[in-house]
Amino acid sequence: MSDNNDGIAKYFPGFILCIILGWISLQWDFSIHKWQKEYQACEKILTKYTQDRKPFLPFAEYTAKSDEKYKEKLAAFERGEIKEKPKKPHLLKENDYNALAATKEIPFKYVFGEKMIEFQLTYVAVLLLGGMLIRNTVGLPKIFQPGAVLARPVIKPGIILLGGYYLWSNLLKVGFFALLLVLVFILGTTVLVAVIGRRMKQDDGLMGVMAAGTGICGVSAAVAVAPVVNAKPRDFFYAVGTILLFGTVALFTFPYIGKSLGMSEPVFGAWVGTAILNTAQLVAAATWYGHESLLTANILNIVRVGFIPLAVIFCIWFYVIKQATSSEKQQKINTWQVIKEKFPLFILGFFAMVTLNELGVFSEEHRTIFGKQFLQIFFAIGFAGVGLNIAFDDLKKAGGRAFIIGFIAATLKAVLSAIVVMLIGTEAFRVK
Amino acid sequence: MAENMEFEDKAKKVFSAERKEDIWVLIMAAITVILGLAGVITPKTFTSLFFQ
Repeated sequence: MSDNNDGIAKYFPGFILCIILGWISLQWDFSIHKWQKEYQACEKILTKYTQDRKPFLPFAEYTAKSDEKYKEKLAAFERGEIKEKPKKPHLLKENDYNALAATKEIPFKYVFGEKMIEFQLTYVAVLLLGGMLIRNTVGLPKIFQPGAVLARPVIKPGIILLGGYYLWSNLLKVGFFALLLVLVFILGTTVLVAVIGRRMKQDDGLMGVMAAGTGICGVSAAVAVAPVVNAKPRDFFYAVGTILLFGTVALFTFPYIGKSLGMSEPVFGAWVGTAILNTAQLVAAATWYGHESLLTANILNIVRVGFIPLAVIFCIWFYVIKQATSSEKQQKINTWQVIKEKFPLFILGFFAMVTLNELGVFSEEHRTIFGKQFLQIFFAIGFAGVGLNIAFDDLKKAGGRAFIIGFIAATLKAVLSAIVVMLIGTEAFRVK
Repeated sequence: MAENMEFEDKAKKVFSAERKEDIWVLIMAAITVILGLAGVITPKTFTSLFFQ
């Protein structure tokens, strides 16, 4: 009994730390978004003043005029003259308005908020960079480590709740392209790494875990395939090191590469969904880029993790069945058993949410609560766990020729999939 | 052989842990949805967690 209690108790400190870090980062995010809104309102007023040479109105007149404009737009929307329902304008507070009128300068904190969002330093970046910094400078005391590991899967309830944003029709539309990308790139990489490894006379154990890891789902797939291909512990750590190193580099660079290539949010979502190997890392990169990007990346991820059993079956066939002598050929793959054991259950929750949304159970308010607000809470706790678990010592474990094969295959997949998703275009990947 | 057994154990542990993890994840999501549909959590719940 006491063992059991110790077992649970050891997770508390790290988990609570992740909740605290998550809250701090969300407070940061909340503040910079608020300041950005104020910045935009200030800028609008200043533009009128400087470019249109209109005088500053008294505060009461400013609010009345904005309100009048909003009502006009709303009426036009109700008459069907404009398609999108207008949003209520964000108005400055009286003190801020009067200060702006007097100084003609936007207050520093509003400029700061705008800059932070321009550099994409939202809660995602704060948690990942901050967590990584803590882990690799002051270090994460042992007492926090089990809980920090436990916090990572808290991302998954967020993924399920996001299901409330989809209808089956848009899921199937994007899912069709997702299926093609998964088949071509993800299973393609698994096969490519296995075949190149064999040609370069690399050890089957090492290349088996590397093929499963770089192709489909990172560390979980590597662990699943390791016993099948008789991997040695050293092989396993080489493969896991390579997977983690690639994922970490991708996580921090892809959002900036996407911006510089001018990728739209849906296209970026499709790209990271194909190119990043690990659920937590791809969800983090997509969230970093924007909500539409997350909606698309999530579909890719659901399709991808649904293929885990298939990757395991391929590795069993490639490394065991294909090589077995005729006398050994009696051993067959129990396909149903593999699917039953390896199928990720949480996907069913996601599909249940899509079905409830299709049946009209959720209002717009519910979608905001589940798919934006609570999603952020779950993601923030999970991302804190992800950041605190990026240890450079683990990344150093990557090595050898297999590392080169794995890293090149993953990079090739990233480059080719970027070209393909950009050619397919935004509309194919747009969820709404 | 011993190393192989070690991996089989680890793989089994990882996947049984992931199964348990998935069940907890489904429970957490279900509780959130039920509370949301019942009106216990509203859009104001989230904003009330932070300093304005």
